[in-house]
Amino acid sequence: MRDVAVVGVGMHPFGKFADRSVTDLCHTAVTAALADAGIGWRDVDAVAAASSRFSGGKGWGLNGNDVVEDMGSTGIPVYNMSAGCAAGGNAFNVGYSLVAGGMYDTVLVVGGEKMPKGFIQTSGVEEETDPEFLRQRCVGMPGPAFWALLCRRRMAEFGTTEEQLAGIAVKAHQIGKHNDNARFRQEFSVADVLGSNMVSDPLRLYEICPVSDGAAAAVICSADKARALTSSPVWVAGSAVATMRFDDGLPRGLAGVVPDGPTHHSEAALAVGKALDQAGAEPTDVDFVELQDNTVYYELAFPEDWGLCKPGEAEHLLAAGETMPTGSLPINPSGGFLCFGEATTAMGVFQVAELTWQLRGQAGARQVPGAALGLAQTLGLGGNATAVVLKK
Amino acid sequence: MTTPTPVVEGLFADTDGGARLYGSRCANCSVPYFPRTDTCRNPDCDDSRIGDAEFGPTGRLWSYSVQNYPSPPPAVYDEPYVPYALGVVDLDDGLRVVGRMDVDDPAALEVGGAVELVLAPLSHDDDGNELISWMFRPA
Repeated sequence: MRDVAVVGVGMHPFGKFADRSVTDLCHTAVTAALADAGIGWRDVDAVAAASSRFSGGKGWGLNGNDVVEDMGSTGIPVYNMSAGCAAGGNAFNVGYSLVAGGMYDTVLVVGGEKMPKGFIQTSGVEEETDPEFLRQRCVGMPGPAFWALLCRRRMAEFGTTEEQLAGIAVKAHQIGKHNDNARFRQEFSVADVLGSNMVSDPLRLYEICPVSDGAAAAVICSADKARALTSSPVWVAGSAVATMRFDDGLPRGLAGVVPDGPTHHSEAALAVGKALDQAGAEPTDVDFVELQDNTVYYELAFPEDWGLCKPGEAEHLLAAGETMPTGSLPINPSGGFLCFGEATTAMGVFQVAELTWQLRGQAGARQVPGAALGLAQTLGLGGNATAVVLKK
Repeated sequence: MTTPTPVVEGLFADTDGGARLYGSRCANCSVPYFPRTDTCRNPDCDDSRIGDAEFGPTGRLWSYSVQNYPSPPPAVYDEPYVPYALGVVDLDDGLRVVGRMDVDDPAALEVGGAVELVLAPLSHDDDGNELISWMFRPA
């Protein structure tokens, strides 16, 4: 395996852009990433695209071929990766593997999305053999209900309060206001968050990420290429993809087996563990993390699940300010999904961009001091997860 | 004359001993499945021996939530929409299963509390028939 570096990243700001196509959004992100890398479109050997177009019967989403046609059809291969909201991380892993394995020297990883209105819907399949159809028809249990059920369980186990949940959203916006690419850059008080509409009890509107339009791109290349382009490349120390284990305790359809222990989102823990192993790093070596905060709950649960801190410790770290960029365990110094909104397939690449800016020391007012090792994680429908570890 | 109608056929029924869910269990590794399956999906099971199994009626509430906005189709509910409680229940026979909570006051629900499987109406169809599903009620 060859060493692989991230040499260029770019983003289209997140928001709602009625007059721009997903290809337009990606054009901005790709052009910025190429310029950041100091290369031209002709220098790209292959594209790994995060695509939702062909998954779950949905008509929306990115198709990497459109990006290549838009940038100019040079005949390069396009790999369209589908893994729900984990697709961006999945595309990064495939791009990384292609470069590390010696297939190509320079790969563009891109994700972008124009999201339909409202909460993300599930499969859309109207068949009684489809577990999601059955869950919706027989119970009426949309995505945010999963997060709410997990969160309520944590409240019972650890005594997490509604004020603490609200505090995570407050903290996200204290950071996100410094990020020009973020969609929601205003600060909120705990009272503001607690005053927002209850969605899936105990989670409120400001504690759940909305959907956004946005795009992100990254240029990755072999070590030789990277050293020719820059004196300070950001290195890929680990990149992993995983799916959930059979004994996972979170029913994704109607039912599962009662697990022996607290195994929820085993796919995320597996991906993070594999990426850290590749990096030769312990969880406590991580200087900062970009995790998939579809809801504030994950900012409490995931660091504990992955060994970044002890079970039940997350609320205390939050209260002590340790999850701010200047703290001992900075979480989502970008502002996270809560400040950006989720543009599904863009998210894994958006995280790579933030890690890269942090490791280069280019994150401005949200900079993590001395950032040398960053972890990012995505989670996607169907029990998909990805993780990436980048280092200076 | 209206008739209570299962929202989906073949998943549940009332018995003399109370409500039951119809699923499967592997005779080799004992793993339960709901709904029914043709093959055991346990990666540690080397001999899939699937047979019909019934689950319920008693268990413990693992967690719960209240659904404050209408879930998108194919969910069903009567107008005007009234928020309902959802639960994840660990049945005594080893199945962790999701379902609505048949409860007037969600504030009375308690994580870890004993619950019982029941059949109750989710909503009504265009002819006024009750659409029945499985639910859980504090025991």
